[in-house]
Amino acid sequence: MREYVIFKGSRNGLQLVLDASVEFEILLENLAAKLESAVDFFSRGTMVEVPAKVRNLSFQEQEELSKLLAGYGLVFREVNDQCADDIAMFETKEIERLVIAKTIRSGQEIIHQGAVVIDGDVNPGAEVIAGGDIIVNGTCRGVVHAGAYGDIRATITAQRLLASQIRIAGLIARAPDHLDQPDQAEVALIEDGIVIIKTVSMQEDEMHKLQA
Amino acid sequence: MGEVIVITSGKGGVGKTTTSANLGTGFALQGKKVVLVDADIGLRNLDVVMGLENRIVYDLVDVTDGNCRLKQALIRDKRYESLYLLPAAQTRDKNAVTPEQMKQLCDELKQDFDFVIIDCPAGIEQGFKNAIAGADRAIIVTTPEVSAVRDADRIIGLLESEGKHNPKLIVNRIRPRMVKKGDMMSIDDIIEILAIDLLGIIPEDDYIVVSTNRGEPAVVNPISQASTAYKNIVRRLMGENIPLMIIEDNTSFFNKLKKIFNL
Repeated sequence: MREYVIFKGSRNGLQLVLDASVEFEILLENLAAKLESAVDFFSRGTMVEVPAKVRNLSFQEQEELSKLLAGYGLVFREVNDQCADDIAMFETKEIERLVIAKTIRSGQEIIHQGAVVIDGDVNPGAEVIAGGDIIVNGTCRGVVHAGAYGDIRATITAQRLLASQIRIAGLIARAPDHLDQPDQAEVALIEDGIVIIKTVSMQEDEMHKLQA
Repeated sequence: MGEVIVITSGKGGVGKTTTSANLGTGFALQGKKVVLVDADIGLRNLDVVMGLENRIVYDLVDVTDGNCRLKQALIRDKRYESLYLLPAAQTRDKNAVTPEQMKQLCDELKQDFDFVIIDCPAGIEQGFKNAIAGADRAIIVTTPEVSAVRDADRIIGLLESEGKHNPKLIVNRIRPRMVKKGDMMSIDDIIEILAIDLLGIIPEDDYIVVSTNRGEPAVVNPISQASTAYKNIVRRLMGENIPLMIIEDNTSFFNKLKKIFNL
């Protein structure tokens, strides 16, 4: 069985790492089994941190998680710092592209190891972090990070690319303070070590030339 | 069985309490039985805006703690027989109530009232969680400011993750002259970002300040522009199909003349 729940040691106690691609119910079952198998291992009152960024837990989910942990004498705490390699800990053989058919709103965050396709807008204050490409079939005004694990070939495409910040691999590009409204789909990619933005049609023309 | 509506915004000062008071009074004007619930425990305001401050004996926390019966804590409005207020406690804080208790309270109120309107506190913490716990639908209030719209967006996301879909939007304090000049976000700009149904727009109106200080909701005043806007929203919430009002700048001399002669 693949492990969806991992305990890691951290400065303040334990850190719980949850696989973002799995249903919450399954995670909860997985966690219960894990706790049951090692009742004596966990000392009472140990602080268990759940990095907020790994998954966006609803209030109810947070409560359920906290109840389950409390049953084993553990204290649940949500923390906000999290490094991207927590997710990389889950070895996945084939990374599927994640398709999300809704608008990503302020405070919401999508983290995925593969490519991410958003059928909707990415609003200001929202973040999309993908191991591969990011495609937004709508207006992108939030922060987008493609190739988050170092893939410099990753690209970001949006119908209207108005992102406040574009990150590809280790590079960060900030939007100019006065941004003209683009009237056609644009793509951001790394060329010669800098992030550049061009229209999708320009990009396609270049591809054809290369092929010819 | 009535309906529980929560009025929320994320950001403070955009007009949640004013909207709650006016919609509640608006429903009462239409002959509906309404209760306003002030969920802003520790910073209660709704009683002041309604002009009912001096009648408070018991409050919401007294009800949830079992110090009194629900009926004892409900204050009947001084103007309308079918309008009631359940005030917040001022000496406690948001943690004095749990979402489960609020849900139970809403379910109980729903039995007796056509509409239960909950005035949500600003923020996204405990107070917000309490306020939305028992709501059947949500109304988001925002102003044409980038920060307020950003917060509204966050709230829509949080409501979604709590399984409360399709909130409706009220844009408050629109100043048509500034929008025309391009100095203020327009309704279209706001809708483009939030992508939810627009329930109504309220023009900036000096009379709101007067009405708040007097403890008399603006809907009572027939000549205030905001009053008409709130009345329209009430009728839309009751299922009527009312077109959005065209807010015009009526400060010019000619417009004032037009108004006097009712043209």
